[in-house]
Amino acid sequence: MDMIHSNISEQENTTQRYEVLRELGDCYASVGSCEQAQRCYEKAALLGPDEADPYVGLGVVALEQGLLDDAEIAFRVACRLDSASSKAYAGLAMVAQERSDYKQSFDMYLRCLELDTDNLTALLGLFQTSCKMGSFAQVIHYLEVYLDMHPGDGSVMFSLAALYVKEGRLAEAETLLRDVLTLNPDNVDAADLLEEVEHGLAGQRQAGE
Amino acid sequence: MAVENLGAKSGPLVSVLIPSYNRSEYLHTALASVVRQDYSNIEIIVIRDGGDPIDGVVRHFNDPRIIFIDRDDNRGKGFTLNEGLARAAGKYICYLDNDDLYYRHHVCTLVNALENETDCLVAYTDLYRTYCRIEYDGTREVLSKVVEVSRDFDRFVMLYFNHALHVSLMHRRDLVEKIGPYNEQLNVLIDWDLTRKLCFFTDFYHVNEVTGEYYSPVGESDRVSVRRRKDANDYLRNVLRIRTTRPAKPWPKINDVSIICVGRKLNQQIAGTLASIWRHTFYPYKVYLPLSQADLARLDVGMPNVATVAVEAGASPSECVDAALAGCEGEYTVVVPDGFEIREFWLEDSLYGLIESPGRREGFELEDSTDKLWAVVLETDDLRDARRRFPRASVRESLNAAGIKVRRVQPAEIPFQFDQLLCQSETAGRDGNWAQAGLMLEDIAGRYGNELWMKYRAAEAYFKAGEFDKACELVRQINGKKPTVDSLLLEARLKRREKNFRPAIVLLEEAERMLEGKELVWT
Repeated sequence: MDMIHSNISEQENTTQRYEVLRELGDCYASVGSCEQAQRCYEKAALLGPDEADPYVGLGVVALEQGLLDDAEIAFRVACRLDSASSKAYAGLAMVAQERSDYKQSFDMYLRCLELDTDNLTALLGLFQTSCKMGSFAQVIHYLEVYLDMHPGDGSVMFSLAALYVKEGRLAEAETLLRDVLTLNPDNVDAADLLEEVEHGLAGQRQAGE
Repeated sequence: MAVENLGAKSGPLVSVLIPSYNRSEYLHTALASVVRQDYSNIEIIVIRDGGDPIDGVVRHFNDPRIIFIDRDDNRGKGFTLNEGLARAAGKYICYLDNDDLYYRHHVCTLVNALENETDCLVAYTDLYRTYCRIEYDGTREVLSKVVEVSRDFDRFVMLYFNHALHVSLMHRRDLVEKIGPYNEQLNVLIDWDLTRKLCFFTDFYHVNEVTGEYYSPVGESDRVSVRRRKDANDYLRNVLRIRTTRPAKPWPKINDVSIICVGRKLNQQIAGTLASIWRHTFYPYKVYLPLSQADLARLDVGMPNVATVAVEAGASPSECVDAALAGCEGEYTVVVPDGFEIREFWLEDSLYGLIESPGRREGFELEDSTDKLWAVVLETDDLRDARRRFPRASVRESLNAAGIKVRRVQPAEIPFQFDQLLCQSETAGRDGNWAQAGLMLEDIAGRYGNELWMKYRAAEAYFKAGEFDKACELVRQINGKKPTVDSLLLEARLKRREKNFRPAIVLLEEAERMLEGKELVWT
């Protein structure tokens, strides 16, 4: 068909159906329609055989349904297709966490955060697994990085403050908790923890005297 | 007559021409899409131009409206379409390639437009370009359906290059008597040759609706026209052949241009000027070449549309112009000295202003004109008037004396404003200035038509700029009128962003239905 140049590349134009199906899969997954989401992701995977996202979607759907083996396979395929897919590593971490394999889960969350320090799911997952394992140094680092980027996130601020307390860094915990309460004076957990921290700090001061 | 009534036998007969050369595996779908048209008063002329046998496919339909011309030798698409035109009896003609397809309302929409909505003798719709992957068994896996061009008729653009898809076109059959048959010497751009010739005689009516699909396999295309385009010289020869085609007059919709090429004598320089005119002029023209008898005797013009004019040896430039002017047929005349720099748009940039503001006793000095190499375009009557009244003066002086103002064209007067602005918006987008691109595209939609097409592109630009409210407003307007797969996808993304998943699902399901084309599956 002989037509005036349309300035649109072929590459740009050949992914449309894939994108429709992937978006549709994500929307179905968001409203809990797992079967329909799965159907869309499977079709998307056929249309975009080199794309990781449909496999991430399939993994999430399987995870939602408690099909951990299926979820792991899907997330592994996604990792193979795109070794920089932070979502795929987050998925593998969640599968491991469900299996109570906290070491594996912790490692996968870390891989995810190395690729995307902004991934809140991974951050909170890392926090949870850290609590289980009693190892906090790395999670503190990632929470601090995240807060640099999202300075007003109260839930992360509180989590970080809790970790400071566990590490005995009471002064830093006190500052952070005061910030949390400035943002939300009704945060009872923060108020309780702050009271505990202030008590601890007072004890330290007395011991110092 | 309403659209619904046109399904009746009483509507005018429409001839659908389907040339077929190989790719016979897709013919069934193409033919089925014609047989199942809502509009029934059609004759379907299938012409096998050699290649794969298709009699089985044609017989399968057992439809008395099908006329089958089964020819073993491959004579080319031009010959094949002429064969079809010779057999056609319909008031209207439309075309379908053997691997493309019409939606059910295609013929009905175009007949309704031509019978009831316009005085134009040609109408065209929009088509999806369907990108597909060819599977091992030859089936086509649809990857996307995109309306790449949805352009309102623009004669100047049509003269420069095609903007109406052949498969989307319907024209009166009696126009063929005026434009002549398909040019069988062309082996590519046959479609454009037809549309270009048609625009000498009629405006085209654009029906802003998608009524069919043409297929583009990703990667290496198997289309004959694509393969042939790869020979750049051959392609250029075809372009020049088309651009120099002058259908028989009268031309109700185009004013002719006469180019008087003034040279002292026949030499390399004048030959070079002529060759450049041939290569760089897309507006229909005829060159008038005043030369002495001696020069004419040794002249060997290798280009079309050149008329020689005998002048006295040593004739002055104004005498040469006067001699040529006597025979000029064009409503506009260009006077250009040999050695003048001829580049793309050399003439059309100035001519367009003249065409758009007729009867102002005004000429335009061509853009590269200098005092030494002075060139002008103006209405032929104005030039004749000036020469008649001031025959002894130079051309320039005579125009001045006759009160014909000669000026340079202003930027706002040059053609292809729409294309230039579109290009600028694309540059802004490539530079990451999507908000600016969106503004420009909205402005284009307001000033230069092509409204839905430009509004969609503006919405897309605003989306990329993060100006979601603006994107949403525009894309809703489009989807309220003529949704496409792309516009539905964009609105769904905006809904999803707002976490309105249910409405997003509705939009995406509609987009997926369009892509799957379930309504297009014929048996």
